[in-house]
Amino acid sequence: MVTFEFLDWLWIVLFLFIMIGAGILFYRLGKRSESDFFLAGRGLPWWLPASSVYATHTATDTPMWVTGVIYKYGFTGIWYTFFAAWCAISAFVSTRIFRRSLAYTQAEWNTLRFHGVGAEMLRGWISGWQVFMNMFILGWVGMAMGKICNYMFGWELWIGLIVFSAVCAVYVLAAGYWGVIMADFQQGVIAFAVIVIVSVWGIIAAGGSEGIITKLSEMGESWRLNPFHFSGWFEGDFPAAWFITMMVIALIGGFGMGTSIDWYAEAQRIQSSKTVRDASYSIWWGTALVLIRNSIWAVAVLAFFVLFPGITDASEYELGWFRLGFDYLPAGMVGFFFAAIIAIHLSTISTHLNLGAMYFTRDLYLHYFKPTAGEKELVWVGRFATLVLLIGSFFYGLMMEEITSWLIFALWLMAAGVWLPNILQVVWWRFNSWGYLSSWIANLGMSWLVVWILPSYGVIPELPDYQQFWLLMLLGAIIYIPVTLLTKPEPMEHLVKFYAQSRPIGWWSPVRKEAQKLGLLNHLNKEQTKMETA
Amino acid sequence: MKLIRRHWTPGSADEWTKEDWITIIISPLCYILLSIGVGLSFLLLPVGFITLTAGIVLIILMHWIIDPKLKSISHDYEEKQQQYLEELENKVRWEEKNG
Repeated sequence: MVTFEFLDWLWIVLFLFIMIGAGILFYRLGKRSESDFFLAGRGLPWWLPASSVYATHTATDTPMWVTGVIYKYGFTGIWYTFFAAWCAISAFVSTRIFRRSLAYTQAEWNTLRFHGVGAEMLRGWISGWQVFMNMFILGWVGMAMGKICNYMFGWELWIGLIVFSAVCAVYVLAAGYWGVIMADFQQGVIAFAVIVIVSVWGIIAAGGSEGIITKLSEMGESWRLNPFHFSGWFEGDFPAAWFITMMVIALIGGFGMGTSIDWYAEAQRIQSSKTVRDASYSIWWGTALVLIRNSIWAVAVLAFFVLFPGITDASEYELGWFRLGFDYLPAGMVGFFFAAIIAIHLSTISTHLNLGAMYFTRDLYLHYFKPTAGEKELVWVGRFATLVLLIGSFFYGLMMEEITSWLIFALWLMAAGVWLPNILQVVWWRFNSWGYLSSWIANLGMSWLVVWILPSYGVIPELPDYQQFWLLMLLGAIIYIPVTLLTKPEPMEHLVKFYAQSRPIGWWSPVRKEAQKLGLLNHLNKEQTKMETA
Repeated sequence: MKLIRRHWTPGSADEWTKEDWITIIISPLCYILLSIGVGLSFLLLPVGFITLTAGIVLIILMHWIIDPKLKSISHDYEEKQQQYLEELENKVRWEEKNG
């Protein structure tokens, strides 16, 4: 239990006042149109969505799992957090392609890239999946806040879950994405400052940098300082093969769209940016901040290890970074620390409330139910969807203990068997909607087989997760590659339109030739003629 | 011909060129060096400062290479954006258009 002084409560009240104030302040902008409510009118300079990328991916459970992997594996554990690096390549490839398409959502992009019934089925599936996923993430993150409040104040879990998400909903309902982005900027600054302060405080408490290095050496744990201390090439619980798989997934994944679960939130930030350049820099710098933050955390966790070595219970050492704050910060600062935890929490909640509502409004309501809906109506539908997501997340959060293992399995589905198809849809003109749909269906079946059914019957051994990834990728390809080649390509007219607008990278030469023939690549044609004349 | 092109016309900037591929290679290196460099610098290790400096130099180089191209793409594209947006709205509201 943590005891608060008057100054601590003051920090919290002040902070909540600022957050809700931001919503009221941007209420007029948010209600102007659908584009304002969900994309802030597509006019943001790069640093605003960048701060939102950073703030959104700093959730209440993030310090727990970062602490968990660093405490267990030392500085090498930093690679567990490196999945965010898909933005390294994405910022300059898929971000550019997606921003040029002007699609609000990934589901909408599917109907620009693919055609006909297959495209519509994909749009329905992706949007329904995203509404569900956002509700799930809201419940998951909300429950993490419930646990923190339980640890700090002894509150029942539901209190922390409901109170702070409901506060957040006030400004999301009022100002939509304008409220999200403006609050994220403040929250990002506060959260980053506090992460640095608490971490430095913890490092000093452990005897400073020199003290940490000396103590680790005395304990015979100097290997914890090495960022490449793997358990072997293939053996042990942290082999180099895992690291290489992570690098491939994260980095090559940047050529595709949806290769990371974070893509869907990032896609909203990409489209809200003023230009293609702003979109690229927002994604790149937002992620750079995430990685810098992880490294600062890693050092603080090494400090925690020096102060409290030998903890074997994961649920205990996962709270290590929070303990540094609550145990070592002076009175009056603890409230500021808790205000930062609220900031971390609200930034994630607000994003997923607005994102889930966007998929519901744009892809389900407007596209399938009422294409004649006006702007005002869409803003109200957005608000209604926000409210439904909020209430749904409370139920998810309270059920979380029972459904967690199922939903983690559902998250796993997002990554393995559809990883390559998510890239192919961007880089290969011949990949069609039926191939993509079949990859989702195949992945569903294969994941069950590889992860649970075959190992339980002893047909295959229980594989480490990185081997499951490669196997699922291979098995999926056996299905979707033949399906793609045995079904018709998307109509050339549709592909040409998509190509001329988005200019995708990769194997697009038949489409490109057709686009050139039709004079759709005007600039290029003129320049080539000029060169030929010269 | 210069190794790195820094002046672009809208048409040439639309193409995927070696400047993009160099950026695609440098960008992950920046992230790796930043991740290691920041952590080890907080521990005041010399190798941390060297790694971090290398990361910062690469970030500057990456921006120097890709920024002129991104500016050119953005400038040209924003001019067309309104027309694209109208087309997109028509596509989304397909019932209205066809009905």
